[in-house]
Amino acid sequence: MRLTNLLFSRVGKYSKDYSNLPDSYIKRAMEQVYWKNPKGPQYRPNAVVQRKKFHFDTERPWSAQFRQENSPNRHHKKIFVEPIKEWSFFRGDRVEVLVGKDKGKQGIVKQIIQERNWVLVEGLNCELKKLGDDKEFAGVYVQSEKPLLVTSEVSLVDPSDFATTGFEWRFTESGERVRVSTRTGRIIPTPPSAEETIDYKTKSTYKEQPKDTVADDVTEVTFEPRLATFEMDLMDKMGIKEDRVPPKSFWY
Amino acid sequence: MSTFAKIGGITRLLANSSISKVNNTCKLRSLSTTPCRRELMEFFDDEKNWGVQEVKSGRSWKSDELRLKSNTDLHKLWYVLLKERNMLLTMEEECKKETRLFPSPERLDKVEDSMKNLETVVRERNKAYHLLETGEKGERPRKLETNVLGLHYKYKMSEHPIPKHLNTKWKKQYEFYKYDKEVEMFREKLNEKNYLAKKKQHRREFNHVIGLLNRFPNMDMEALKQQYPEVDIEKAKNSRKYGGHFEPK
Amino acid sequence: MSTRWYPIYQKGGPQLRVFLPNFWLKLIKPTTEQPANIVQFSCSMQMTKFDIKNYLEKIYNVNVVDVRTRIAMGKTKPDPGKGYIVKEEDEKIAYITLPKGEVFKFPDLFANEMKPEEERDKALKEAKEGHNKFLEKNKNRPSLPGWFNI
Repeated sequence: MRLTNLLFSRVGKYSKDYSNLPDSYIKRAMEQVYWKNPKGPQYRPNAVVQRKKFHFDTERPWSAQFRQENSPNRHHKKIFVEPIKEWSFFRGDRVEVLVGKDKGKQGIVKQIIQERNWVLVEGLNCELKKLGDDKEFAGVYVQSEKPLLVTSEVSLVDPSDFATTGFEWRFTESGERVRVSTRTGRIIPTPPSAEETIDYKTKSTYKEQPKDTVADDVTEVTFEPRLATFEMDLMDKMGIKEDRVPPKSFWY
Repeated sequence: MSTFAKIGGITRLLANSSISKVNNTCKLRSLSTTPCRRELMEFFDDEKNWGVQEVKSGRSWKSDELRLKSNTDLHKLWYVLLKERNMLLTMEEECKKETRLFPSPERLDKVEDSMKNLETVVRERNKAYHLLETGEKGERPRKLETNVLGLHYKYKMSEHPIPKHLNTKWKKQYEFYKYDKEVEMFREKLNEKNYLAKKKQHRREFNHVIGLLNRFPNMDMEALKQQYPEVDIEKAKNSRKYGGHFEPK
Repeated sequence: MSTRWYPIYQKGGPQLRVFLPNFWLKLIKPTTEQPANIVQFSCSMQMTKFDIKNYLEKIYNVNVVDVRTRIAMGKTKPDPGKGYIVKEEDEKIAYITLPKGEVFKFPDLFANEMKPEEERDKALKEAKEGHNKFLEKNKNRPSLPGWFNI
């Protein structure tokens, strides 16, 4: 895969954090391999025909809707995404909407779509969709948020005076990187919901599942160094005696 | 670190050690015949998880956590993970056959990730032993070689019972590069192809940057430079593609 | 040495031992009707009959009387989108015979399954019912506002 394709098709860190899914799963769920070389010495290794460019929208890359949007014969117009030096909008941030019918209103960031520089602000910039209408029934209306560009359509709010502000990343005296309001010079703290995932609110309030290993068992040290390989150590512990010396062999 | 989750538990493993289990089942077997084999039910998930939409699970084992564990523990954990993987594969296959959605397929990735980490830790320990004892890594040796098409690659050596000069079969199978006029020509053409591909790639990136400059005039130039380090932005601005279809001020 | 590269066996040398086997084994529903003590598995292509027997006896504690294997060729069919011919992977299938008197029946995994469509459409259904109720109520009093009640 070429470098630019990689650049365009990768999933941003902040858009997948909330799902708490392993990267290998996201890759596996997203990829569309049409043909792959069989394994064997007679075949060229890693020859693969697969979809290279993906169209990112509000659908999450591991969902069936995303797969449908990127189904084999569907092609999308090229999208230019403005490069951003560092992602600075997190889940739970208070932002002000600068465009649209909710212009001037403040809300909380609900979801991040980093591939398109988008955020969804809770309850703002919504659209209504009609669902389930037929001959007898007029249907129900469902409200859903439309994405907003972080570069021009939303602005961070300074928590000290609840007014919009520019910001920059600076170091505190303890060496921590924080966002600082350029207007008031106050720190804009990262909200606690930034580390929230679908499985837990904070790491300390994680509810253990039946197949989980308890933290104490994980951190317990049972390793004792011995002058033996893994196999030798296990054979010792199991009482397997082996004193035959391997005959000479040649590496080439 | 907070209470976090892993697949499989060492404690549970230690509690029912395999030896005692074998003895018990042998006794039972001589007494009665079981109508449904409990052991084969290990290939299936917990009955509570049959037909559900989602099964919650923790994260995979990290290599740093596995480094704390003794070889015996790692050996036991491997079999826990292996059984878990077999169970998940069985459930996945059955769901596929019945055209249902397999709940939480990321569990498979978590188990496989744990197994991969476990193997790296074992390999690390063996490497350390071999380095200490013999001064070599004890890994399968590799050598940079050139194949018959004149392409460089890492040749993975293998172990043989007889030396190289006696091994006619190997000699026949593995041919390495000898000077050949046609191969040289092929390599020249391949180099040209690679060069052109690289150039095309560069041109594409350059045009993309112009597109970005046209669309986002107030863009952060440093971010642009960071993302496209190979593109000369000044040159892009001098291009005739830069700027819209309007009269310059 | 890597855990996936084993030394060659030569006469008089030490016994080769596998400590971390990475074979997989899937229990699958029998494709054709089988006797009650036969279990069907799908396994890694590299596994031999002895491997399968040892694997089940040592790891799963299952007594195995007999193992028979076959390699099922993958189906060749046109690709659903593009139409070119693709071939699915071959797979090794093993038939395990349990000792006399032991029976295994493949469980029904989807007996008490929750229907996802029902949950999804529940709200819509409720809204529809409410609307119908409203229409029913106002059938005999046309052109009166909804809030007007006696």
